[in-house]
Amino acid sequence: MTQPSATEPAATASSNADENQQMVALVVLVAENRDRTAFMQIFRYFAPRVKGFLVGRGLTSHAADDVLQEVMLAIWNKAGSYDPAKAAISTWIFTIARYKYIDRLRRESRHKTDSDDLDLKPSDAPVADENVLQDQRQIAVQAAIANLPADQQSVIFLSFIKGLAHSEIAEQLGLPLGTVKSRIRRAFARLREELGEMN
Amino acid sequence: MSTAHKLQDEWLLSYAAGALNPGRSLMVASHLAYHDDLQNTVADAEVIGGTLLNAMDEAEVNDSVFDQLMSRIEKNPRPEVKPVASTSSAYPEALTEFIGSDVNSLKWHFMGPGMQQTRLWTGPNDERLWLLRARGGVMVPEHGHNGEEWTLLLKGSYSTERGTYGVGDVDSADESIVHQPKVTPDEECVCLVFAEGPVRLNSMLGRLVQPLIGV
Repeated sequence: MTQPSATEPAATASSNADENQQMVALVVLVAENRDRTAFMQIFRYFAPRVKGFLVGRGLTSHAADDVLQEVMLAIWNKAGSYDPAKAAISTWIFTIARYKYIDRLRRESRHKTDSDDLDLKPSDAPVADENVLQDQRQIAVQAAIANLPADQQSVIFLSFIKGLAHSEIAEQLGLPLGTVKSRIRRAFARLREELGEMN
Repeated sequence: MSTAHKLQDEWLLSYAAGALNPGRSLMVASHLAYHDDLQNTVADAEVIGGTLLNAMDEAEVNDSVFDQLMSRIEKNPRPEVKPVASTSSAYPEALTEFIGSDVNSLKWHFMGPGMQQTRLWTGPNDERLWLLRARGGVMVPEHGHNGEEWTLLLKGSYSTERGTYGVGDVDSADESIVHQPKVTPDEECVCLVFAEGPVRLNSMLGRLVQPLIGV
């Protein structure tokens, strides 16, 4: 399993926050000026990561490129609806990538119903005072993931990185289904505790 | 409405992670529309997703992907923002988006006296997602389940031995449960149902007609 480098929190965390502020500025340029250079910079940073997310779920490089294009196109089209007070850029882009990935799974299944783009907003969170708070939330989560016990870390990675369902995680780790569910609940509760302290 | 009728956090996390199949994923997205507290939980889980995306191993992206993308954008640099589908819809936006049209314009199929269904999705492992519409007062035939079954109430209400379920509630049943929901009189009931496999009808007649009614 390829694990992201969440285990090196502090140093990378503050640079992530700076990066996010830069990205926010770029998204605003795309939204307001349809700025292609700004868009290219967003692409350079996020495209390899989004593709990493898609390939991690078992898509071929070719299929991942298709979905990646849909994700990046949605970023271009919906930049104006991004609200930095509600979510960090990477959270926003993560929800777009998730939607496009699930949409692809759906199109591959038998009952096809054509759908247009779903509104790609992250789920409504309580509106924070400033977008800086969203960076701090990410920093806190990153540190908290690094501090999780290994067994809890692995169910988080298997869910978010590999996109495995509870039953698949149970199979992979050789655990009863109930154990997987309670482990996910405990891991999530710990991470939410960190986030809760920031609200 | 008690927490017993809401999906648990492990499902919300897996939904946020994009780790659910399209049927379950739509189920959770629709359920969320009724509960602000669950939306907050999902928003927290999405922060985990964003954090991990930043730390994701980078895959190689060929320049041609960007070039193709830009030529698509050149063709349509300022796409029209689609008007939000009838905001007055009584159904969750995620559901109407999935269907691509209004719930009321769907083609319904006979499923039993006072009951109709329409299939929305079938998964690779025979998972199925459908809408069920039943007249007030109808008794749904007694049935068990192969695997798990989630029923989200979109309109009206029904009762089983385990309680009464109203709009926004999820009734979650597994193999161990055989039930016979009774729709509350005087109001039509519409449900979104996800099941891991076909339901098990307990009556001989039910088993005979099952292939015909599509559940």
